[in-house]
Amino acid sequence: MIFSFAILTLLYLIFLSVLAYLGIGYIPILLIASAMILAQWYFSDKIVLWSSGAKVVSREQYPELHDLVERIVARNNLSKPRIAVIDTDMPNAFATGRGKKSSVVAVTTGLLNILDTEELEGVVAHELTHIRNRDALVLTLASLFSTVAWYLMQFGFYGGLYGGGGYGYGNDDRDRNGGGIMLIILLVAMLTWAISFLIIRAISRYREFAADRGSAQMTGKPVKLANALMKISGTMRRIPTKDLREVEGLNAFFIVPALSGSTIGNLFSTHPPVEKRVQKLMEMEASMS
Amino acid sequence: MNFFRRFKKHAFKANSDAIFSLSSAYITLEIKLGLKNTGRSAMSIKAVDGMHFSVMREDIQHFLDASKTEFNLSYRTITDSYGYLWVIIEAKHMEDILAGITSIGDTVYEKGFSDKLLAAIFQFSNNNIESNNNNNNMQYLIYNYKRNNFYPFIPTGQKNRDTEQEMKILSALGQEVPFEKDMSFWYPMWDLPL
Repeated sequence: MIFSFAILTLLYLIFLSVLAYLGIGYIPILLIASAMILAQWYFSDKIVLWSSGAKVVSREQYPELHDLVERIVARNNLSKPRIAVIDTDMPNAFATGRGKKSSVVAVTTGLLNILDTEELEGVVAHELTHIRNRDALVLTLASLFSTVAWYLMQFGFYGGLYGGGGYGYGNDDRDRNGGGIMLIILLVAMLTWAISFLIIRAISRYREFAADRGSAQMTGKPVKLANALMKISGTMRRIPTKDLREVEGLNAFFIVPALSGSTIGNLFSTHPPVEKRVQKLMEMEASMS
Repeated sequence: MNFFRRFKKHAFKANSDAIFSLSSAYITLEIKLGLKNTGRSAMSIKAVDGMHFSVMREDIQHFLDASKTEFNLSYRTITDSYGYLWVIIEAKHMEDILAGITSIGDTVYEKGFSDKLLAAIFQFSNNNIESNNNNNNMQYLIYNYKRNNFYPFIPTGQKNRDTEQEMKILSALGQEVPFEKDMSFWYPMWDLPL
């Protein structure tokens, strides 16, 4: 965690000094980007709710869900977030909000359908841990760098276009020079964006493990969250139902299992592989019993 | 050929080693999950036609007859609808069961049928649940000879299984015995003749 932030800061400084060296007025860009990020953070709950189609639901609409959330909140001395439901069969859940008051925990109807009460508790506790740990803020801060880099990249592209289209106008020498600087900015911005993109994902994966751990502590039943994760991801379906004696002839047992979840895939994903999360949860379960 | 045989012998030794890891792991199961070994276990071997196989079958029976008193075990054999020969043995002590299972494995290996060995199954019952139905709360560890590792199998009624309890067994034993971490290999064995 600290390591990730150290790298981010270093990256940020290098990025700034390169810009300064090139004599770009980076302050205006930075100001605009910061304003946008602040706005993004401030309205994050509304943006996320709107874009996901989640509707905040009252106690009258979903009494059992409200009871369930209140049980966990009361036991763990947290403040109760608003509860939202998304009408889709895809089982999923998320938490959003910049602070304790504006937080929302959203679940899909698909999730409510496939999980039993204790599994749902595990998932809700996971989301509540995200809120308690202020993960939205952490990730917003972390994405500051990549956002700035992103805007600069756009800026660089347009600059490149204008520079490239400038044949026949003005001084050839100056044109070539300007194009070169633009190219450097573009490259540095792209590099910054790419690296911070990877780091954000690393942080995000770490926060997921932390939220799993928090959920396990809140409910005391990590196995339930593990079950829920397997149901959501469809891992449950991977447990075969065909009899061993039927498949024996297929010789499937000699085949070395394909590299499941390549390292590259891991680098890019925001969530750790379900197998790893389940494994860690089961280790917690083992140490609890 | 020699190399190949040695390789196979080595692989087979690995089978016995893996199975013997249960000699301490079954205590872990009892302490952590309250599962008690019932003393019943079984081996399934793909039956093939021919004299050699029936000779081997007789050898196994002779061996078990001879060791009845030494290991204090009883046994029976059946052939199931899939065409598998089952040797079901019952003994008081886990050590005797393991000795019996690995000795049968040795015999099968010596007769050249080691590739016909499918699985060894160990039965456990849950102390915590009041046993009202005889076979309803039986839990199994299946040892797959080809994968050389164990996985849990807990049938609940009609072709259903208790995945949650199976996960608990994984977390209790995962470090202690060679365990099948890839759940897509957790093949069930319905209607076990134990």
